[in-house]
Amino acid sequence: MRVSDMKIGEEGVITKVSAQEPVKSRLFAMGIAKGNRLKLLDHTLKKQTWEIDVEGTRVALRKEEADHIEVEK
Amino acid sequence: MKIKAVMVGQPNVGKSSIINAISGARLHVGNFAGVTVEKKEVFIKKGDYDIEIVDLPGIYSLNAYTPEEKVAKRYLIHEDYDLIINVVDANVLQRNLILTLQLIDMRKKMILVVNMIDEVEEKGGHIDGQKLSKLLGIPVILTSAKEKKGVDKLVDEIINTYKLPKCGCNIYYNEKIEEEIENLTKILLKSPHFNTKEKARFYVIRLLENDEDIYKIVHDLPIFLELHEALSESIKRLKMEFDVDSVADLLADERAAIARSIVMQVAQLPRKETLTDKIDKILIHPIFGLPIFLFFMWALFQITFEVGSIPMDYIDAAFTNFADWLKHILPPGDINSVITDGVVPAVGSIIMFLPNILILFLGLNLLEQTGYMARAAFLMDGFLKKFGLQGKAFIPLVSGFGCTVPAYMAARTLKNPKDRLITMLILGFMNCSARLPVYVLFIAAFFPTASAGNILFIIYLTGAFLGLIVAKILRTLLFKGEPEPFVMEMPPYRFPSIKVLLMELYIKAKLFIKKAGTFIAGAAMIIWFLSNYPVNENLVNEYEKKMELVKDDSEKVRLHNELAAKNLENSYLGRFGKMIEPIFAPLGFDWRLSVATVSGLAAKEVVVSTLATLYAVGEADEKSSTLIAKLRQNVDFKAAIALIIIIMIYSPCIAAMSTFYAEVPQWAWRTFYTVYPNVLAWLLAFFAYNILAMMGY
Repeated sequence: MRVSDMKIGEEGVITKVSAQEPVKSRLFAMGIAKGNRLKLLDHTLKKQTWEIDVEGTRVALRKEEADHIEVEK
Repeated sequence: MKIKAVMVGQPNVGKSSIINAISGARLHVGNFAGVTVEKKEVFIKKGDYDIEIVDLPGIYSLNAYTPEEKVAKRYLIHEDYDLIINVVDANVLQRNLILTLQLIDMRKKMILVVNMIDEVEEKGGHIDGQKLSKLLGIPVILTSAKEKKGVDKLVDEIINTYKLPKCGCNIYYNEKIEEEIENLTKILLKSPHFNTKEKARFYVIRLLENDEDIYKIVHDLPIFLELHEALSESIKRLKMEFDVDSVADLLADERAAIARSIVMQVAQLPRKETLTDKIDKILIHPIFGLPIFLFFMWALFQITFEVGSIPMDYIDAAFTNFADWLKHILPPGDINSVITDGVVPAVGSIIMFLPNILILFLGLNLLEQTGYMARAAFLMDGFLKKFGLQGKAFIPLVSGFGCTVPAYMAARTLKNPKDRLITMLILGFMNCSARLPVYVLFIAAFFPTASAGNILFIIYLTGAFLGLIVAKILRTLLFKGEPEPFVMEMPPYRFPSIKVLLMELYIKAKLFIKKAGTFIAGAAMIIWFLSNYPVNENLVNEYEKKMELVKDDSEKVRLHNELAAKNLENSYLGRFGKMIEPIFAPLGFDWRLSVATVSGLAAKEVVVSTLATLYAVGEADEKSSTLIAKLRQNVDFKAAIALIIIIMIYSPCIAAMSTFYAEVPQWAWRTFYTVYPNVLAWLLAFFAYNILAMMGY
């Protein structure tokens, strides 16, 4: 499922990152890469901005980016 | 013997604190050639060695994204140096290792510094430095810059590594990938530009990852055609073999896997609910997050005004008394007047605001250093998006409340040129601390003390809101297109270092006093001269005759004041004021306010010091009343509001404007930037003045 479908507190392993460059390298550099563990920490009220934890790093993203990260429970 | 090292690391790994913690080091701060990115250099002498360390801007990866990252990458690729010092944060070793692996591709001599090891150990974790060193093939040092642990080992390690014949790096990718790298390297080595296998290998890896900077370099080589063909073949084969969209993805996955496996072998990093988790639950709560943030901002402005105003009266009184005292000590004449009417009141009127400015800066620094600024950007992103901005724009926007100059530079974190330009065009609406004196003065003169903090908060909010509206208009009319995507690290909350905070405050105070003592004192002298000359002898004689005739003392004082006022009107400044008065007359400004407004283009504090000088000169009797009282006598409420609006919107100071010009090369935008704030300021001030007039003020 996509990160944007997760519920707060849910965890999973990243299976695919389908964002376009240059966002993709940015996501990789933050540790958002295949095989890493991801936890959804929080999102804003309107689900516009999301906060995730990837292997100990907290990253803020928008819905557009969260849509392009797929995880498996 | 000279050793040159470069220090590289991701943002927030504590590179600066390591540099500060090296004992016996000499720090030099400058700029990288051609760009205004800060360049820190450290010089250390140890035995026969002169060691120079260049601290590069923080980079997340070699796929440069921001201007700072480009500077760092360019330096790493093109400059000459002996070894790389790569600093990583022990807490997030796995993510940091991805950059380390990219750097190891260069096959340069390298040292890995695993910083913040104390934080890992505190949680009961452990990192096996020796094993890590063995796996990577490079020396590893565990340090804690905060506790000064291990930092001095770095110097010895630099010398040891320098003496090594070459990098012992032993990181290799999947056999199939290495095979392709090997083949391509052979082609590249045919070119005489490549004398080492290591450099060729690095270039090949970057080319496989579609690195445009490297592509540009090899494009001009004679073997380019052969290489290009072989490269496409390799990429095709790899894509098929591994079923990936691009080789960049493949290498990213490889590095992620290597980093994961290394961390599994060398580190135990317990995952407990950290303090950051707990604090974040409250501070970025979906419902309470925003109100808490607004409360912090409100509190900051309250404290700025309330606490800052305590010493203000004393400073004001001290300078007024000092000027009076000097007036009696010094022989009467021009020297006396230029000092006691010109320089002292002007400098005093500025120094008065030092406490306010220091409190505001302290607050903004605290937000930055604790890690709350990133949370604020997170909270504000959804809101800013509505105005065509993005969350990260929040950081330059808030810096703008401190000073517009660094804010323009902070806008570089925005990669998309449109986003960056919009943000920069509205930064002037974020009221900088130099405008604080003007507001504080006018609020004190025209509003009840009890509501002063709130009025100040409203001024700042209105400015920010106007900026957002302008951003929206610019986005709709001039910059169509999607705003930049938003991906931002949220650093863990850290207790700020008191030492660093005090250092920043000290630097700020020093710069401010220096500015008051030199620039503003100089401006005050010029204003004094322009307001006292030329002297109209006929006028003076005429009034002296009149004064001899009258017996009544109060009549004498009246004539004396009338003479002073006429002299002032007749001075150079008075003539200039009269000349520009028609522009400002619809806003209810007299020529003094007009002159003060124009002088604010030099620096916003000068508005206050100019008013201080102009009203001090105009008043000829000995009885000194404060500037506030004089403003109340001379300026009406409507004009005061109009002035506040002008100050809020019109062009920032010369320093800020030249920074904008330096950052934005296009003349069209420079012209737009120079014109539109002034037009807008005048129009809005005009509306406000007339609306207030209709309401009967």
